[in-house]
Amino acid sequence: MGATDILLMGLIIGGAVYLLYRSLWKKKGHCSGCEVGTCEMKRKYNSKDC
Amino acid sequence: MSTQIIEDRIQSGDNTPQSPLISRGDKRGVTVAVAGNPNSGKSTLINALAGTRLSVGNWPGVTVEKKSAIFEYEGTKIRLVDLPGTYSLSPYTQEEIIAGDYLVNEKPDLVINVVDATNLERNLYLTVQLLELGIPVVIAMNIYDEAVKKGYEIEIKTMEEMLGVRVIPTVATKKTGLDDLLKAVTDITDGTFSHQPKKLNYGADIESAASAVEAQIRNSYPKLTEKYPLRWLAFKLMEKDSHTMEEINIGGTISFVDEKTEHLRKAHGEDIESIMADERYALASGLAHEVLKKPEFRKMEITEKIDKIALNRFLGIPIFLAAMWLVFKLTFDVSKPFADWMNSTASGPFKRWAEVLMSLIKAPDWTASLVTDGVIAGVGSVIVFVPVIFAMMFFITFLEGSGYMARAAFVMDRAMHAIGLHGKSFIPMLLGFGCNVPAVYATRTLENPKDKALTALLIPLMSCGARLPVYVVFIGAFFSAHAGTVLWSLYVMGIVLAVAMGLIFKKTLFRGEAPVFIMELPPYRMPSFKSLMIHTWEKGKHFLVKAGTYILAVSILVWFLLNLPWGVEQKRDSYLGKTGQIIAPVLEPLGFGSWEAASSLISGLIAKEIVVGTMGEIYVTKAEEEKKERPSFREDLRDVVVSFGTAAKAAALNVFSTPGISSLSAEEDEKRAGLKGEIQKAFTPLSAYAFIVFILLYMPCVVVAIAMSRSSARGNGSGSPLHTK
Repeated sequence: MGATDILLMGLIIGGAVYLLYRSLWKKKGHCSGCEVGTCEMKRKYNSKDC
Repeated sequence: MSTQIIEDRIQSGDNTPQSPLISRGDKRGVTVAVAGNPNSGKSTLINALAGTRLSVGNWPGVTVEKKSAIFEYEGTKIRLVDLPGTYSLSPYTQEEIIAGDYLVNEKPDLVINVVDATNLERNLYLTVQLLELGIPVVIAMNIYDEAVKKGYEIEIKTMEEMLGVRVIPTVATKKTGLDDLLKAVTDITDGTFSHQPKKLNYGADIESAASAVEAQIRNSYPKLTEKYPLRWLAFKLMEKDSHTMEEINIGGTISFVDEKTEHLRKAHGEDIESIMADERYALASGLAHEVLKKPEFRKMEITEKIDKIALNRFLGIPIFLAAMWLVFKLTFDVSKPFADWMNSTASGPFKRWAEVLMSLIKAPDWTASLVTDGVIAGVGSVIVFVPVIFAMMFFITFLEGSGYMARAAFVMDRAMHAIGLHGKSFIPMLLGFGCNVPAVYATRTLENPKDKALTALLIPLMSCGARLPVYVVFIGAFFSAHAGTVLWSLYVMGIVLAVAMGLIFKKTLFRGEAPVFIMELPPYRMPSFKSLMIHTWEKGKHFLVKAGTYILAVSILVWFLLNLPWGVEQKRDSYLGKTGQIIAPVLEPLGFGSWEAASSLISGLIAKEIVVGTMGEIYVTKAEEEKKERPSFREDLRDVVVSFGTAAKAAALNVFSTPGISSLSAEEDEKRAGLKGEIQKAFTPLSAYAFIVFILLYMPCVVVAIAMSRSSARGNGSGSPLHTK
C-alpha cells in the first residue's frame, strides 16, 4: 500500500465522517418529517415555541 | 387561473420575518394568512392555490407549524401563510398560540378564513374572533359541495351583508371557486373593494365595559394601541388572557380593567372569559341560524353508518388491529416482488457494471472492493427495501386521508386512559410508524407537559419505517408463509409494550389522572390518488435521503472497519469483528450471540436500517463466491427489464390472492443464496424472531435521541416533551 493509497483512504474516511457529522449532528435530527409539519423548526416570527 | 408559482418554500429554517419582496404595504405583494378550524381544508386550499405540497390529511392537527408559499396572481405577489388549525384564538394550545401570535404580531394584509360549510356554526366562532382583530377578512366557504350534497342551503349574500366581508364558496379539492377567492383577495388589497366589516355587537354590558377599557388603554398606554388592535386588546385584558398579559408586560397595573368589568362579573355570576365565550357562541349560532337552512329530515350519512361499527366499544380495537394487519399484508404482497427485483438487480447486474467501470478507470483493487462490497452491498441492502417502505407509507397515508386514523385514536382512548394518557397521545404514536423523529416533535401538540413527556418516552416502541428492512429480511428468510401476520405481531407488540410501559410509568414517574379527550372526528373521505402519491413520496423520500447520506457514510466506515488492520484475512479478526466478539457474549442468552449480529447492532445505533446494510457487507464475500459465469451487458439489461415485468405481475397477482398466501411463499424454492441464505445459516427461526424483537426494543436511533434531547432542552414546560414540572 503506497502513500497515494493511504492519502485516498484518509480522504474517503474523512469524507464519510464529515457526511455522518453533517447529516446526523449538524442538522440536529431534522428529517423529511419536518415537512409533514411536526418537526421542530427554527424559532421564527415572534412566536414563543416554534 | 393565471396563478404562477414563483416560490414554494417550506419555512423550516427561515428566520426572516417576511420575504423582502413581500413586505406589508409594498405595492409588489401582499401577505395573506390562511386561518380556520382543524380539518377545514386550509392546507388543501393553499396547495390548490399555489401548487405547493403542504401536507394534508383527513384528521385534525396535520399542520402544527406555520408554513408559507409565494405565488403570483395577476401581477400581485401573494404570500400565503398556512396557520395551524384552531377552533378559537384562546391561548390554551400550541396551535392557538402560534396562530394568534402570528395574526397579532405580524399583522398580515388579509386573512382568508377557511370555513367548513358542513360545520358552519362551530367554524363561525373563530370567524367572530378573527373579526375582533380588525384585519381584513375574506371567508372561503370550503367543502361547499358536501354541504350542498347534504341539502344545506347557505345564503352567501346574507352572510356577506351581516358580516361586511366577502364570502366565496370553494371546493379546494376540486379547485372550484379559487379564481373568485383570489379576485376577492386582490380587490381588497388593492382597494377596489372597500372592506368594511360589521362591528359585531357583544351586548350592551360587554360593549360598555370594552369601551371604557379601550379609553383607558388609549389614555394610559398609547404605545400599546400602535402595536395591538385596540378592541382585541381590550377584550383580552377583560378576559385576563395570560399570554397577552405576559406579552404586553404591564403586570399588575391593569386593575382599571377589574373596575370596569366588576359589574359584569356580579351581574352574570361568571368570570369574564366565560361571559365573552358565551357571547361569541351566541353570535356564531345566531349567524348560522340566519344564513343556513338544513333539510328537515336527515338520513343517516355514510360516515355515521361506518362509525356505528368502527367505533363500537367492543369491535373498535379488533377492527383497528384487523386494519393494521391488512396494511401489512398488502404491503408485503405489493412490494416484495419489487424488493426482490431490486435486490437481484443491485447484487447482480449493477454490481457487475460497477466492477467493470472500476477496472476501466484502473482503480486500485481495494477501492473496487470498497465500492462493490462496501457501498453497493451496504447501501444496496437497504435500498432494496424502498418499495416496502413506500408501500407501507402509501397504505398509512390512505388510512390518514380516509379519516380512519382519527378513529384509531378515538378507539384507543380507553386503553390510553389506563396508562394515564388519552387518545390524542395516540396520534403522535401513529406518526411513529412512519418515523419516530416527527412523532417526538408532534408531542408538542399535547397540552399537558406530563402527556408530552410520557408520550415521547413511549414513541420509540412504535415500529418506525427504518426497522422495516430488518423485519422484512428476517421474516423473508424464516417466516415467509406468514409474513404479514409476523410483521403485524411486531407492530402490535410495540403497542402492547407501550401500554405496559405506560402503566409502569403511571405508577412511578407520572402519577395522576388523564384529562378528558375531546377530538373532532372528520367525515370519511376517499383520498385522491394524486394526493396519496404526493404524501407517500413526502413520507418515503426520507429513506432515500438517508441512503444517500448516513447509510452511505456508515457503509464506507463499516467496510474499513471490516478490512482494518490492513490485509486482515478473516473478517472476525478485523476491528469490527473484534468489537463484535466483545459484545457477543452479552447477546448469547438472547440466541444470537455471534460477532456478526453484535457488530450489526452497533452500527444500527446510527439508524436501524443500517443493521441490514452491515449484515450485507459482513456476509457479502460468502455470497459472492457462488457467482460463476459473467453475463454480457445486454443480457444483464434484458434480465433487469424482464424481471421487472415478472415482479409487477407477481405483485398484481398477490393483491388478489387468498389472504395469507403471500408472495414470499414462492421464494421457498429459491436456492439459499445471498444475505437471506447467510442469515438462514446463522439464525434459527426462534433466534431470528428474538433478533427482530430486539431491534424493536433496543435503544432508539441517534436521530430520535437527538430529537428527544432537543425537545427536552427547550425546557419551558409548555413545549418540552421531556420536561415536566
